Amino acid sequence: MSSSSSSSLPPCPKKMITLKSSDGETFQIEETAALQSKTLENMIDENCASTPIPLRSINGKILAKVVEFCNKHAEVGVDAESLHAWDAEFVNVEYTTLFDYILAANFLEIPTLLDLASGVVGDMIKGKTPDEIRKMFNINDAFSPEEEEEVRRANQWAFE
Amino acid sequence: MHHLRLLHQPHLRVQCSPSPPQPLLLELEPNSMVATGRTRACGGNPAMADGGDFVQRLVRDTTLDIFEHLDDPSDLARVCAVSPTWRQFVIENGLCKKLCFRLFPEVSSVTHVVKVKIEPIKVSSCTNLEWEQHKRNHKVYAFLARGLTSAIGKNCIAEAISASSTHRYTAERVLNTLEPGDRVGDRASYWSSKGESDPKVSESLVYKLNAKLCIVTEIHIQPSQADFHDGYPIYSAKAVRFRMGHLKTRKMDKGTVDDSGDGDESVENKYVWTYTSPEFPMAQCSTCSSSGSATFPCI
Repeated sequence: MSSSSSSSLPPCPKKMITLKSSDGETFQIEETAALQSKTLENMIDENCASTPIPLRSINGKILAKVVEFCNKHAEVGVDAESLHAWDAEFVNVEYTTLFDYILAANFLEIPTLLDLASGVVGDMIKGKTPDEIRKMFNINDAFSPEEEEEVRRANQWAFE
Repeated sequence: MHHLRLLHQPHLRVQCSPSPPQPLLLELEPNSMVATGRTRACGGNPAMADGGDFVQRLVRDTTLDIFEHLDDPSDLARVCAVSPTWRQFVIENGLCKKLCFRLFPEVSSVTHVVKVKIEPIKVSSCTNLEWEQHKRNHKVYAFLARGLTSAIGKNCIAEAISASSTHRYTAERVLNTLEPGDRVGDRASYWSSKGESDPKVSESLVYKLNAKLCIVTEIHIQPSQADFHDGYPIYSAKAVRFRMGHLKTRKMDKGTVDDSGDGDESVENKYVWTYTSPEFPMAQCSTCSSSGSATFPCI
């Protein structure tokens, strides 16, 4: 699949670029939507976007969602309130998916997606005990019993 | 003759208490699994992660993004107790200080005091100085953020100390200005000076704050209306200014209350004033209270 070579013809030539996921799926995205990614913007600027762009760190499932996010945020005439509601629904997913969104947003440099997803992870931590947080994120490195006691004593007020 | 009334107002307080030194933690493992942008896409990292400990797996800036969504000091304290890696991340990146400044920008003006007086750093030969500094800052700002947050909306006046003069002791003493209502029983509650023939003579009231560090966000003063005089006149000062300070010597901390109303000639000598406000004209109105909206920390 290659991008259109007849882009100079009227009417409304929509410039498309093609992204290829780590598992070989390809996705078409309008250049205007792709510009939300600084990484893709740089490639477009340097004329490296005329062939499918391989994204080996992002699988098809996540890349589909990222493309959906970029398309939504490139839509004109969406009011802030409904976009906010759409965003909330978009990140209403399990932590593993959120984590993948963060990795993808980080790699593609999409600040809106990065901020949205990291905000949700931040919200997951709010009001939780250390034990709950350890379980939630599958955290294995542990304090020694002495450290544990000391850390607990220093932060006792937060557990009351 | 001046009639002043001080209303209860939201104030903040902080108490810093020392806690025992903590041991040095192990070095953090490098956590650079994510390739950052501006590389060609084909140079990306092939492995897609399935969640896990983001502090270990994400680059520093992204982890900072996540933690900066926390706006309660107790959340940060609990984060510190999650794992050695998390604790080290919070301390090394000064997250408590950042949160404290974000919640209370006024604190940035007292950092020199925090550095020098509140928690001087203890240097021992076998510890890493930079890490000790981070830990020291973490401890101080965790206490500050916690103390300031828990005191939001509280009155920070502990008691009335003295008045430069009192017209009738007991009935019109400075203590009355701290009454939350306008009246006590069937009597109006207010302070009144003896009164001077020269309007340029100023009067002063001294109050004790309830902590060594306070952030004063508002001061309310209500002129009182004399319902016992014909025409219900308002006796009020023309203008007020506020000073914040501390006692010159710590010994005088106790037993300094002088509410006898005899005036206090030595107020100027007893205190060091670290802040003096501009002069605010008083609205001559008994129902509206004048309040300074300037925010300033007071140590």
